[in-house]
Amino acid sequence: MRRAIGTALALCLGLSACGGSSSTSKTTSGTATKGGDLVIVKALDAKSMDNTTTFDNDSIWIFEQMMEPLYTVTEDGKSVKPWLATSYTLSTDKLSWTFKLRPGVKFHNGKPMTSADVKFSLDKASGTKGGWEFINTAIKTVTAPDPATVVVTTKYPWAPLLADLSNFNNGIVPKDYGGMTAAQFYDHPVGTGPFKWDHWTKGSELKLVKNSDYWQTGKPSLDSVTWKPVPDDNTRTLQLQGGQAQLDEFPPFSSLNQFKSSSTTQATLFNSTKTDYLLMNHTTAPFNDVHARRAISLVIDRQALIKAVLFGNGKPANSFMPPQVPYYDATTPGLQYDLSAAKAELAKSSTPGGFTATYLAAAGDTQDASIAQVLQSAVKPLGITIKIENVDPATARTRQNKQDYQITHSSWTMDIADPDELVSFAVDPTTGAKSFYTGYSNKAVIAATHEAQKAFDPAVRQAKYTFIQKTAAEDAFMVFLYYSPYQWAYSKKVHGFLPYPTGNYHLEDVTLSK
Amino acid sequence: MAHLAFIGKRLWQLLPVLFGITLVVFFMIHLIPGDPAATLLGNRSTPQAVAALRQQFGLDEPLYRQYLTFLGRIAHGDLGSSFVYKSPVRGLVEGRISSTLWLLAAGALFSLLLSVPLAVLAASRKDAVRDQAVRIVPLIGLGMPAVWVGLMLQLFFALKLGLFPVSGFGSTVVEHAQSIVLPATTVAVALAPILVRSLRTSLLEVLDSDYVLTARAKGISRSRLLLHHALRNAAVSSVTVLGVNIAYLVGATVIVERVFALPGLGTLMLDSIYSRDFPVVQGVVIVIAVLVVLVNLATDLAHASLDPRVGVER
Repeated sequence: MRRAIGTALALCLGLSACGGSSSTSKTTSGTATKGGDLVIVKALDAKSMDNTTTFDNDSIWIFEQMMEPLYTVTEDGKSVKPWLATSYTLSTDKLSWTFKLRPGVKFHNGKPMTSADVKFSLDKASGTKGGWEFINTAIKTVTAPDPATVVVTTKYPWAPLLADLSNFNNGIVPKDYGGMTAAQFYDHPVGTGPFKWDHWTKGSELKLVKNSDYWQTGKPSLDSVTWKPVPDDNTRTLQLQGGQAQLDEFPPFSSLNQFKSSSTTQATLFNSTKTDYLLMNHTTAPFNDVHARRAISLVIDRQALIKAVLFGNGKPANSFMPPQVPYYDATTPGLQYDLSAAKAELAKSSTPGGFTATYLAAAGDTQDASIAQVLQSAVKPLGITIKIENVDPATARTRQNKQDYQITHSSWTMDIADPDELVSFAVDPTTGAKSFYTGYSNKAVIAATHEAQKAFDPAVRQAKYTFIQKTAAEDAFMVFLYYSPYQWAYSKKVHGFLPYPTGNYHLEDVTLSK
Repeated sequence: MAHLAFIGKRLWQLLPVLFGITLVVFFMIHLIPGDPAATLLGNRSTPQAVAALRQQFGLDEPLYRQYLTFLGRIAHGDLGSSFVYKSPVRGLVEGRISSTLWLLAAGALFSLLLSVPLAVLAASRKDAVRDQAVRIVPLIGLGMPAVWVGLMLQLFFALKLGLFPVSGFGSTVVEHAQSIVLPATTVAVALAPILVRSLRTSLLEVLDSDYVLTARAKGISRSRLLLHHALRNAAVSSVTVLGVNIAYLVGATVIVERVFALPGLGTLMLDSIYSRDFPVVQGVVIVIAVLVVLVNLATDLAHASLDPRVGVER
């Protein structure tokens, strides 16, 4: 229905439709001027400004404009660069990291940022329960020997520390929340970022205004930024066309060409770390059999799937790690579409004549429905029957977590510029996530995961992660489906907007032209 | 005085209704599958994190104790705190109720503005072309989905003519009024056909009655007869129809809210059901129940004021 209306909308606007684009670029055309209110429309409202316990990107990408970390991810998503810290030294035992803080950084309340604030922030981030504390698992202590120095000591040598510290949960806030309770503070948070709190009318709009004392002299250019939740795809399109908004987050892939063919708008696909998978439950038949799993992986034509689901705007996945993550191995072939190999693989399984399995689908999720239908048709030549069980998304999520499913769909996006967050979650059952809820357990892979965490030599880490990717692919612990981009539509008046592969964006670099 | 006593009695009757609603909504939302903690954590969820959040939300307590806590809070006017927004439900509801009330009021007003003239036009000459047209044309409105009507209104009145904002609710009374025109028209397009048919039928019945015949015999003009004598009596049944539909709309405006990005109660409730934000679902259902009772009360009062034979002492 929504797609039909979208098509009708394109016709009503007199716009033509043609094939999709796969390029990624910055928006750099036009003449920029100072000031202006940037309006970003997106499907969902923010949920909370608590950077230590909030899990949705609709909140995260907003509070990152206010609360900044010591280090931050680079444009390509593969490394980190100094941000509120300027440098670090690592002790010879690789346990103590001494950070020098950037001088002259002030909070929005006018007070200077010191090491006491950093210690408070990191300690709070490590002490949550049911929040992002798992990112800080390796941190043993944080000390503040002088106002400009912070020492982070880890429990064991821990290579991903800089990437961990660049995560938003380690954003720096004033010590003791500037004299407020945590609840009061997160109602109108204070940080060092380019934008400061203005107001949030829940369900309607959240507005941040320019921080004139920002440590990057001359930035930001914008006077303010307003995020508005607009659930309907077509309404967001009309708002952009009508000039009520300048940025539309994640318009449907089917609508991108109408933005591209307009004289006032543009659409761009940006590199992302989003990877889609089929999860298979290894704890019960038939997917406790590696040959059955391999057969499923081999029987799916990923290009056809990308065409059906993403209108061609994606790339087949060869690894469970996305290309925008350090140590991704492009040479890992994975188990790609090969019908005869799939038949041969199934013949080696305990169910050579095929089997019946149930696909747990989230009702209302069009992508999930398309994947289920493609799978259902793809496995028929193998004698496999897939039944689709539609449940509401919350139920699907709960059942996935409890491993109460046979085969289902899930996806992942990276938060940090290190593979450890994903690798630990996906292949190390000791972290508690049961290897991405599949039950996969390979001792050699688990050992390599732990060794990679403690290795500081990039060549050693690359070797470990290559081994992990190849072995996990051969074990077909999941079916790696595709890598998809972040799609944004925007007014041609917007300049310098660049979402990073981790999804976040630096609005201090954005300008608006008249 | 009788009116006041009637209102007091009806409000008093609200208490058992509310109690029943707390019971139904609490156990329904708690017993359906889907865990709030797992939903909130998404695919970063681990059993440890889920357990920690469940404890934080009080979901590890026995169900009866959770219900008693919920009841105790309500008795103190506290609707609890949202799992998702991490803020009081009362504040969330207060922030959303305004656009819902605007939509209901403007939707009802626009429905009347559309349906009364059309019904009078149709009834003024039964089975004539105008009557046939009025009986058929509004049905098209009834058959069109709100998503489509809303989109067409946005395209023409907002994008082409620029008369109203495409969506949103604004932040001042003037902006609210401008923003509500297209959503209320969408509601009215769906509601008016029902009212037109109901009012037309009632008008034709009234026009056949003896007192109208007497009035005709006295030489009163047809238009005066319709507007001053028949309409008031005919409106009685239509007020009931309007009231029932508005009461239904209180919880069913979600499609219009989504199309026009109105921050209303319907969207808040739907999102909260999806995320299993129990306190918000419970709070919104209670508020909607109160609104439905109040709309029904207003309908009864309007009914009584239109028809003196209907007392409010019932």
